[in-house]
This record gives sequence, structure tokens and C-alpha cells, in this order.
Amino acid sequence: MPIKTFAAIDVGSFELAMKIFEFSGKNNIKEIDHISQRLALGSDTYAHGKISPKRMDELCRALKEIAGIMKSYRVDAYRAYGTSAIRETANTTIVLDQIEQRTGIKVEVLSNSEQRFLDYKSVAFRGETFRKIIEDKTAIVDIGGGSIQLSLFDNDVLTATQNLKLGVLRVMELLNRLNAKSSQMESLIDEMASAQLSTFKKLYLKDRTIKNIIVVDDYLSPYVVRRFGRDPSKAIATLEDYEKLMDMLRSQSRSQIASNMGIAEERVPMVFISAVILRRTALMMGAEMIWAPGVTLCDGIAYEYAERNKLLVDEHDFEKDILACAVNIGKRYMGSRKRAETLQDITLTIFDSMKKIHGMGKRERLYLRLAALLHDCGKYISMINLGEASYNIIMSTEIIGLSHIEREIVANVVRFNHVPFLYYEEMSARETRLDKDAYLVIAKLTAILRIANCLDRSHKQKLSGIRAVLKDNTLVLTVDTQEDITLERGYFEEREGFFQEVFSVQPVLKQRKQF
Amino acid sequence: MGEKDFRNPAFYTNRELSWILFDHRVLSEARDKTIPLFERLKFLSITASNLDEFFMIRVASLKDQVHAKYEKPDIAGMTPKEQLAALDAAIHKLVDLQYSTYNRALLPQLEQNGLHVIKHHEDLTPEEAAFLDQYFEENVYPVLTPMAVDSSRPFPLIRNKSLNIGALMRRKNKEEELDFATVQVPSVLARIVELPANGNVRRVILLEEIIERNIQKLFLNYDIICAYPFRIMRNADLTIEEDEAADLLKEIEKQLKKRQRGEAIRLEIEDGMDKRLLKILRKELGIEESNIYAIDGPLDLTFLMKMYSLDGFEHLKAPKYEPQQVPRLPAGCNIFDEIRKGDILLHHPYQTFAPVVDFIRQASVDPEVLAIKQTLYRVSGNSPIIAALAQAAENGKQVSVLVELKARFDEENNIVWAKMLEKAGCHVIYGLVGLKTHSKITLVVRREEDGIRRYVHLGTGNYNDATAKLYTDIGLLTCSETIGEDATAVFNMLSGYSEPLKWNSLALAPLWLKDRFLYLIGREKEFAREGRPARIIAKMNSLCDPDIIEALYEASAAGVRIDLIVRGICCLKVGIPGVSENITVRSIVGNFLEHARIFYFENDERYEIYCGSADWMPRNLERRVEILFPVEKQELKEELLHILQNQLRDTIKAHVLQADGSYERVDKRGKESFHSQEAFCQEAMELTREGQEEVASRRTFIPETHHE
Repeated sequence: MPIKTFAAIDVGSFELAMKIFEFSGKNNIKEIDHISQRLALGSDTYAHGKISPKRMDELCRALKEIAGIMKSYRVDAYRAYGTSAIRETANTTIVLDQIEQRTGIKVEVLSNSEQRFLDYKSVAFRGETFRKIIEDKTAIVDIGGGSIQLSLFDNDVLTATQNLKLGVLRVMELLNRLNAKSSQMESLIDEMASAQLSTFKKLYLKDRTIKNIIVVDDYLSPYVVRRFGRDPSKAIATLEDYEKLMDMLRSQSRSQIASNMGIAEERVPMVFISAVILRRTALMMGAEMIWAPGVTLCDGIAYEYAERNKLLVDEHDFEKDILACAVNIGKRYMGSRKRAETLQDITLTIFDSMKKIHGMGKRERLYLRLAALLHDCGKYISMINLGEASYNIIMSTEIIGLSHIEREIVANVVRFNHVPFLYYEEMSARETRLDKDAYLVIAKLTAILRIANCLDRSHKQKLSGIRAVLKDNTLVLTVDTQEDITLERGYFEEREGFFQEVFSVQPVLKQRKQF
Repeated sequence: MGEKDFRNPAFYTNRELSWILFDHRVLSEARDKTIPLFERLKFLSITASNLDEFFMIRVASLKDQVHAKYEKPDIAGMTPKEQLAALDAAIHKLVDLQYSTYNRALLPQLEQNGLHVIKHHEDLTPEEAAFLDQYFEENVYPVLTPMAVDSSRPFPLIRNKSLNIGALMRRKNKEEELDFATVQVPSVLARIVELPANGNVRRVILLEEIIERNIQKLFLNYDIICAYPFRIMRNADLTIEEDEAADLLKEIEKQLKKRQRGEAIRLEIEDGMDKRLLKILRKELGIEESNIYAIDGPLDLTFLMKMYSLDGFEHLKAPKYEPQQVPRLPAGCNIFDEIRKGDILLHHPYQTFAPVVDFIRQASVDPEVLAIKQTLYRVSGNSPIIAALAQAAENGKQVSVLVELKARFDEENNIVWAKMLEKAGCHVIYGLVGLKTHSKITLVVRREEDGIRRYVHLGTGNYNDATAKLYTDIGLLTCSETIGEDATAVFNMLSGYSEPLKWNSLALAPLWLKDRFLYLIGREKEFAREGRPARIIAKMNSLCDPDIIEALYEASAAGVRIDLIVRGICCLKVGIPGVSENITVRSIVGNFLEHARIFYFENDERYEIYCGSADWMPRNLERRVEILFPVEKQELKEELLHILQNQLRDTIKAHVLQADGSYERVDKRGKESFHSQEAFCQEAMELTREGQEEVASRRTFIPETHHE
């Protein structure tokens, strides 16, 4: 395989960073350069809602230099992602356009869940240590400038994730506004964190305790890497060890801390906030160990790129995480797991039998499974407006590993399972970021879900076995059941029209009674 | 142990006085009868130019401190005033010795060897006098600017370091008081004028004598009463910052008045100058008695360097040494292929500097090279390196060059070619705010079949092909991944980006280097305490960092054997009971200027060797960007250890520091006589011969596989 050179650019809220990677052969990634420079876009966005022209100039100048460096490495491809500072600035579109005009670099905005997923991926690629750690109950605490993300693992699968607006820069902005004295700092941060953390606990943890914490941040982690290297066996601390670090942060002056930790003095307040938030989180979860793998978003960007371009094979099954998250959401909104699974089976049977016709792949199959698992979560809120309510729940719940658009696809499929389908022209009249490709995926998946859904209309899982055979322009669905399926048949006939419209395939339902 | 106060000022030598001792060591080369006569002239000239620089930088700084009423004692417990007083005495002694060397040793020797220096124009034969008068009128007179002082014309500005002739004169036909006049001896003309040959002995005279003889022609309306040469040194307006403490700088900024800048701090006059003339000079220049040097001989001995270049005395000079080829890098080889086979050590000037130039030159035209990055401190005029960098930029490589504009005395020169590089398309960084970039590092990024590979050159000396023939330095060519990564990080930092998370191999000043050294010294101390083998050998130009010296004292007290090879300043004292009994210091002053910095740490028999750009001085460790790099390949480590051991064996050019603070030549009794620089030359030539013999004995043809 020829060597590929790739640049990952992170337009962060505190720092602008770029890593240059080299891909050679399967799963062989090498970092060859890493540059970073302080550029506090976040302090503009969080305090004033917009990035100031001065910072814009700085950013463009820096990106231009970065473009020069990329050129000198003759990179084959790059991805530049903006995080919360760009995402939350009121004029994101203008900012992105200006950057491209002035520097030639196309910056894309990561939604929070995408960003966290990239972080998570880079942790997961730490291999053995990661697998070992998540054997126990584990949480990833991803501390960013604008917010923090808490993700929980259960039986080596990620099961839930939640974003809290507790980012380090945001907290610092607030403390500055409060004119807090340094002696008050810790208790103020604690207070801010506790309120949000206790809600999180009620929702996700209940009585469970978490044994390990994996911390991802740009504040404490560099220190850990500097101190212990990337050797994970050394970068793991017990909570007592961690308290020692806290004591040092509490008792010493800024310059002492800076020289002890080998960091710049200006970083000390951020390290402190990050440390207090981490401590509070660890205490709330009852954690015993903390691991700082020292990964950055740039690593995640590279892994994602490599994966997409088949330069890398996943070691961890991220799909399993996504499904587990969906199951958990279903559970939270009191969905029946059994029924969800039956529906999932039926949809997949149909999906798989029609591969030639629909031309969709593995990823779309995942959307379909998710839609099946979440197909009626909205009834928790309203049995009448089931479609809209489900849509809203899905859209406001983060599923780590799904991009914003992917989430919207799933939510729409679920919605149109219940409400009349909107055609593209109608849909784009509403506010939506979906393009035609995404729309077509929605249409196809909706058609499948609808057919599948009516086969279990009575919610009694009457249809124990189902086979699907595509022959010419007919899809024959054969169900093995002894029970009466008149109701199902009725719904089926009602819905087959849409299916036919989408696929030009006539679905036929056959019952095979076995005696 | 541990109770002892290793910072006791009694344990330290003042750095200025230690410097004077260094100049004495150079002077002792001029006095060494075993050295070819013209080489001795050169050494004497060096002592003079050294002393000039010392005045302008160090003495000037002490004067500033006194003016600013700064009274903090140095590490040896001396206040600036006390230091100046001690220096006055020491410098007078040094100058006396310079001139007795010139008059009593060198002049008679020159005479014996057929070169006569005419001391006074009064000694000329009539034919010679006629020849010189004509020479004066044709060549000298047109460029002179005589200046007379009277009631309407104020005392003129006498330029720093210039040689002048001062005269007293009286207006013709008037019995008025005496007027003062002065004329600068033009520096554009040769200071030494050779007279037409007459017999076997060649005769030369100095320019000032010619002017003195003809001075009457400059002031036709006057009668000349007397005329004598004089020379002043001013408190030059040079940056002194990096040598001084920050608090001092503030003081000076606050209190120093402009007028004190540029004040005269030394006046050299010919011995026997007319008292009235001297009185005028003293008054007008505002100079103290102790800063006046009455010289028995020609002022400004740097002219001896010109005398060295006189044709026809080759038998009185040391044979020219031709730097040898590096066996691993024969001319015409592909340097990148060779580096990939393994790290290559360069030992200049015994081995040629050409591979370093080639390294950049080949990179500039190599289609696979993506980028070249380099730090430049002092380069030669018309440098082939600059040309290659410009070429590389024109060939579309990314070329980043950090040009240190703050390199002493070089400023203007540097700006010119830095601008040229910029024009060629290089990214030029004009130094870092508040820091001098003294590190010597070059990074070549190359795209190869199996990915990016980084080639790095690290050195102890500047990228200067001219001085590389005179300065002893170490260079390392490597494509080690860890060093390559670090080198990339170094240039990222120099470009203003954040520090890397972790360094693999390199240690950088001003942020990490001092701690690294203290750690390495401390580690030996611990080993010694545990009764394990512990030893340090360190070679550098100067040693005056108090933290380092303290660490060395502690290590010595714990039993570490420490051998230091320090060419110049050394503030450490040897032989203090319980403090430095295990430390030896030697200084090697020879034909080549010892310049390499090599550091050996025994590390419990797994010895480590480092080279770098930094001396153990606060300015290097705290106010400069410097790089220390390890040499890791076993055979190269052995080579470096061999270099250190040879220098420790030196009996000819080594001076050993004594407990009383003086330096003595090595006591040769019972020792084999050994000249380390000579030995390195021999070794390098032998290696070349071996290489050639190997080629000759092969008796096969080698097809050229590489064609540029």
C-alpha cells in the first residue's frame, strides 16, 4: 500500500492544533508532527456569543501557516473540524466561509456527539488497556472547553452518554464574571458541578457505582503524558494519588504549580478547574481509578478518516455501543424490549432480502435497527402525537457514534412510521439540513419499517418466524404462525402502497400454518 | 555532609579574573619557544583582540554597574567596584607581559630570522626616509583628517578602538599657549609598510611612524612640539543583557544616563608621552589614572595578524593542516543513503566540514526532500550554506531559517543575507524575543518509500565553513526517529508553537537543559553514595553557572571523580577539602580553538555521552535556546570518549588549574609527551589513508551508481 499522509486539524475553543499522520498498511498509523498554539476562540464565543474580528484574523493567520505546513508535507488529505467555539458562535456560517476564503481550508463543524465520538474512538484505539479497563464499570469523562461529556460503560459496551455544560473555559468565564477569590474557587466549581452531576446520577446511575474513570481533556492529560509517558500502566492513578495532586493544586502558588507540572503559568487555572470537575465527578461516581490516555481530538479525526478509507480496522465494536445506547433509551422511555427486538428482526429480514433493490449498506442497516429499537419511544410522552414525540426524544438524546445527520435520519424514520410521509419538496420547506441522499435513505427505511411494523401490530409477537424472498418484482413474506393475522393483513394492505412506491416491489404476505 | 554551604563565595573564582588567566594562557603560547615564530605572533595578536573585546563587553558592564550603584556581589563575593579594582591590576600585569613578550622575545627572534621592525622613524636610513615620505604623500596624506583644537574648535570625537596621533603645537611666530591636534591613523591603509629590499634582512615600519614623521605637513601654520600615538576604548553601546541578571538590567535602565554610554574606559598611550599632552587627553576624555596604559611598544597589537600573513616566512609557520575526508562520507556519495546506514560523527576541523554543506546542498536539489529547517548563528561571508538554502527555496522546498540577529558583532552582516534568503522564498525567523538562539540544528524532511524520514544534523559549532577549519567541534548526522521527532518539535517551538508533550532525546535551554544537567550530575552523586562507579568528564568553553558548580561540588564531596576540560572562564576552584578534592580542571589552548562541548556521565557503568551548543554558563542555560543531544551508537560513544581521554592525556597544550587558582603546564615527569590536537590530526589522516588503501587493494572498478 502506498503511504498516505493525512492532516487532522482541530480548531478548538482554547487551542488550534494540527497533527500530521502517515498511514502505511493496515492499522499502521504514525504521528509525524504535532503543532499547537494557543488561540482562545472560546473566550469570545462563551462571553460575547461571537468570535471577534481580532480573533478571526488571528485564526486565519494561523490556519494559513498550517496550510503552508500541510503543503510542505504534501498531505494527501486533511480534515479540519471546529468544536464548540465555532459551533456556538452566532455566525457560524459566515465564520466558516471567511476561513475558507482567506485560508483555503475548509473547516467543518462537529456536533457535540460527533466530537465526543472521535475522542472516544481515539481512546478505544489505545487497545489492550482500554479493553481491560472497560471490563469493569467505567465512565469516560471528556472535559472540553465548552462542556463535558460523561459516557458510561457496562460489560464493555458503552450504554449511555450525556453532555453537561460544564466546560473549563465556560466555568472560567463564569468565575471571572463572579470575580471569585482563589480561596472560593474550588467550592464554587464544586457547587456548579454538583447540581448538574446529581441530575446525571439520578438519570443514569441510580445506585450503580463506577469503578474506573477514563479522562480525556487538554488540561490534565498533557501533564500526565509528560510525567508518565504514554505507557498506560503508569498513567493510571488511584483516587488517593489523585488527591495528592489536588493538594498540590490547592496549596501552591501559580508559579510553583507551573514549575512542578512543567506547564505554562497561564494554563494553571484551567488545569485547576479541570481537576476539580474531575474530582467531583469521580467522587459522585464512587470511582477508584483514573486513567488519562492522553489522546486528543486530532487522533480521533485521524482514526475516523482511516476507518472510512479502509486504512484501519476497528478493534472495538462501536456499533454495539450505539445499539446498546438505543436499547437503554428505549428502556428509559418504558419501551418493551421484547417487542423492539421482534421488530428489529423483521425489519432486518426484509432489509437483507432486498439488498439488490435498495442498494443500502451496513450503516443504513444500523439506522434501521435503531429506528426499530426506538420506534415508539414517544409514547412515554404522548400516545396521540407518537410520531412527533418520538422524533423529539431522539433528536434531544445523544447517541455517541451517530452524527447529527444520522440521528436526524433515524428520528425521521421513526416519525414517518407514525405520521404521513413528507416528500422532499415538502420536507425542505421545513427547516432541515438533510440533503437528497439522506432523504432517500429515510424514504427507503421508512417503507421497510412501516411494513415490518404492521406485521406486529397487535404487539403480541404473533409472528415467530418470518422469511422473505424476493422474486422478480414481488417480495414474499412468509410467516409461520398458528394465530389469526387478520389485523396484520389489514394494516399490511394499507401500507404496501408506500413500499411499492419506494421500491417498485410488491410486498405479499403469506401465512404458513404448520401442523 | 549536606551541612556544608557549597555556595560559600570563598569556593568560587570571579569570572573576569578567570578570563584574564585565560588570556594569559593564550599569551603563554606566544611565549612558547617550541612554537614556530609566526604562530607566536598570531597568539600575541589574539591576546590583544581578546582583551579589546573583554574591555568593550565585560569591563564596560562593570563600569555600568558601578555607575548604577549596583552593589550585589558576584559568586566570589566581590562587588563590581572590587572587581574593577582587581581587574585594573590584573590587566596592567597582562599588558606588561604582552609587551615584554613582543619586545624581548619576538622582536629579537624576528631580527634573527631576517625581519627587522623599525621601531622609530628616527632610525630610518636616508634612502628609506625618502621612500616613505613619498609613500606618505601619495598614499597616506590624501586620506588623513587632521583636527586641531583651539578656542573656536572643540575637542573632536575620538572613535572607539581607533589608533590616533596626538600632537602639541604652537602657532608659528606666536608665543601663545600650546594647542592640541589629533589625526586618526587610517584603518583603510595597511598598518605594516615594507621598505624596499636591501640585503638579506627585510625591514618594515608601522604606519603611525610614517605619519608621525610627516605630521608637520598636516599643520603648516604650526610648529609641532611633540607627537605620540594614543588609542581609546569606549563603553560601547552593545547589548550586554544576556550576561547579566534581570534586576541589574532594571537598575541600569533606570539610572544609566546616556552620557555615560560611550565614555572612555581605557586610554593607551605610548610610554613617555609628553605630560602636557597626556593632561589634555585625560581632561577631555575624563578618564581615571588607573585606566591609562602606558605602552612600551606599538599600540594595538592586532597588527601582528597582518605580519603573520607576510609572504616568504612559511618555514616559520606551522604547516597548514588540511581537514580530512570523513571515511563514511567520500566525496560524491549520497549523504542520505549513508546516514540511513547509521549515525555519523564529525570531528572538525580534523575532519572536513564539507559533509555539512553537502547535506544541505544535496537536500536542496533532492526531489524527495520536502523541507529544510535550520538555525543560523554566525555564518561566513559568502556562505555556501546560505546559497544552498536559497536554492532549496527556489526549488520549491519549504525552507525555514532562524537567523540570530543578536549574535555579537555580526548584526549587520546577518541582516543582509537574511533578507536575501527571504527574497528567495525562505521563511525567515529573525530570532526570538528576549532569547538568543544559539543552538545548531538542521532538519531535512524527506519523503521516502516507507514514509517520511527526518535527517538531522546537530552540532556544537556554528554553521560556518570558515571557522570550521579552526574551531574544534563535534557534529552528528542521524536519521534516528526519536531525534527526528524532537527536531521537528524544536522548530515548531522556534516558530511560536507550543512545546511538545514530551521530549525523546534532546534537552533544550532555557526551559529544560539546566535541570537535565543537574539531574545528570545528581545521578552520579547518588551512585557515588551507593559506592558504585561514578565519574563525570565534561568539556566546554566556560564554566561559571553557580547551580552547576554547586552540584559539581556536592558530587565531588560524595566521591564522584570529575575531570573538566574548560578552555576559558572557570569559576570553580579545585582542591578545596571536602568540596572539590575530586575535581580536576584543565584548559587546552592550541592552534585550533577548542570549542566542542562534550559531557560524559558514567551512569553506573552504562555511560552516557552528550554533546551540545551550551556552556555551563547562566547565559547559555537561562537566556539562550541551546540543545543538548545524546550520542547513542556504541562506536560513536567510544569515539567521543576517546576524544575526551586524549584531551585528558595532553601534556603539551594543557594547563592544569591549581588549588591556588593559577594554571600550570602539565608536570611532564614520568609521562609520555602527548599533543592531543596533533594526535587528532594524525588519526584523521590515518583514517583517510586506510580508506584509500582499502580502495587501492580492491583492484576492482566501482561503477558510479549516483549521478547528479
